[in-house]
Amino acid sequence: MRMRTRTLAALSALMLVAVAGACSDDEQDITGTGNDRVYVQVERLGNPLVSEVTLAKRNHGFHNSGRPSTDVANHSAELKAFVTNVAGRDASVANTLAAVLLPDLLIVQTDKPANTAGWLTWALANGYGGRKLTDDVVDAGLQAIFGALLSPNNVSPGLSTDNVGQNDKAFASSFPYLAADN
Amino acid sequence: MLKLLTRRVGWVVAAAAGALTITLAGARDSRASDHQDTPDVELSPRMDINDVYAFPGSSPDRIVLVLTTSSPITPAQSASAAFDPNLLYQLKIDNSGDGVEDKVIQITFSGTGSAQQVLVRGPAVPTQTGPMNTLLTSEAAVAGAINTTIGTAGGIQAFAGIRDDPFFLDLEQFFRIVPDRKPVSGELSRLPDQPSATAFRPAGQAMDYLRGLNTLAIVLEMPSAMLTDGGTKKIGVWGTISR
Repeated sequence: MRMRTRTLAALSALMLVAVAGACSDDEQDITGTGNDRVYVQVERLGNPLVSEVTLAKRNHGFHNSGRPSTDVANHSAELKAFVTNVAGRDASVANTLAAVLLPDLLIVQTDKPANTAGWLTWALANGYGGRKLTDDVVDAGLQAIFGALLSPNNVSPGLSTDNVGQNDKAFASSFPYLAADN
Repeated sequence: MLKLLTRRVGWVVAAAAGALTITLAGARDSRASDHQDTPDVELSPRMDINDVYAFPGSSPDRIVLVLTTSSPITPAQSASAAFDPNLLYQLKIDNSGDGVEDKVIQITFSGTGSAQQVLVRGPAVPTQTGPMNTLLTSEAAVAGAINTTIGTAGGIQAFAGIRDDPFFLDLEQFFRIVPDRKPVSGELSRLPDQPSATAFRPAGQAMDYLRGLNTLAIVLEMPSAMLTDGGTKKIGVWGTISR
């Protein structure tokens, strides 16, 4: 798989270089590397749960090099199997998680009120969605998979929160929002 | 093992799932051979996205996008921390609901160390969609030094540099619950090899493992219309790193 990916990447890179070379008159060289350089994706992240929660490690590279438009086809079955088989939850929990986490996009409804922002609020409350710095996504994930957030059946109370509810440093209310380094 | 600290929520839940399996099955062989993830990313933390955030900015019509990488960086390592000038960092936006990027923001770096410069291109329609990309042909929208705010408050504002890692979790307790997933080196590797806990620590005893640790952050703020232009107000955001 790795070899095949590399071969495909190399072939596509050659094609892209050929295309870029054919119209190189307006080529710019802002960084010194040139705009004809082909960059190959090695890492991808949308939601803070998907890529390593539910997918076997052998499939992480597959996800990392992939694109959201094929996420449902490529990863939905494995995500659902994780929830039902490993976490021991109902199929309804698995279906709900798959529906909100795939394609692996951080969904933002930019026309919703700012005070409704938060991870998955677009699905839970027709809110702004996105992901805030203060969102406790670990607990949200644990409560969905092991707790009673989506179903009262087969919960694991000791695993449904890590009891760390906020960052060690306060976030700023203005740009760049993240706290200064330590 | 850096992978264990990256895309960390995923690991956390997987680890907790492992703990549940242990509870149910009674015993489980060490799965050390499962620990190989994507070696390229594991061996190069600068290729690793820690977290992606999207939230409202200084006014309701502005949006903030954040991509963090390279965590954990200790305070001693922070003065010289810099991005990889050979990598392309991107935030991609689907505004038509098909999971294909309609706008991209491309972030590249030149130079090394604290004198590094950041260049932000876009948001703009990408030259190619999918996992192989070339740089946008437009000139950088914003460019300047790292570790400082650049751009304009009414247009695109950008900051790329060292910050406190905004993520928080009790990673140490996770490794006590599932020690077969703990790293092979460093402080956490010295935790007991056998499970020494079956649940998380109570409030007051739980500890944020990332307290006092830093990350390299790319923070961008811009009018939301730059991302929704030509599409819907509902968008999907994701981050990528390419080499």
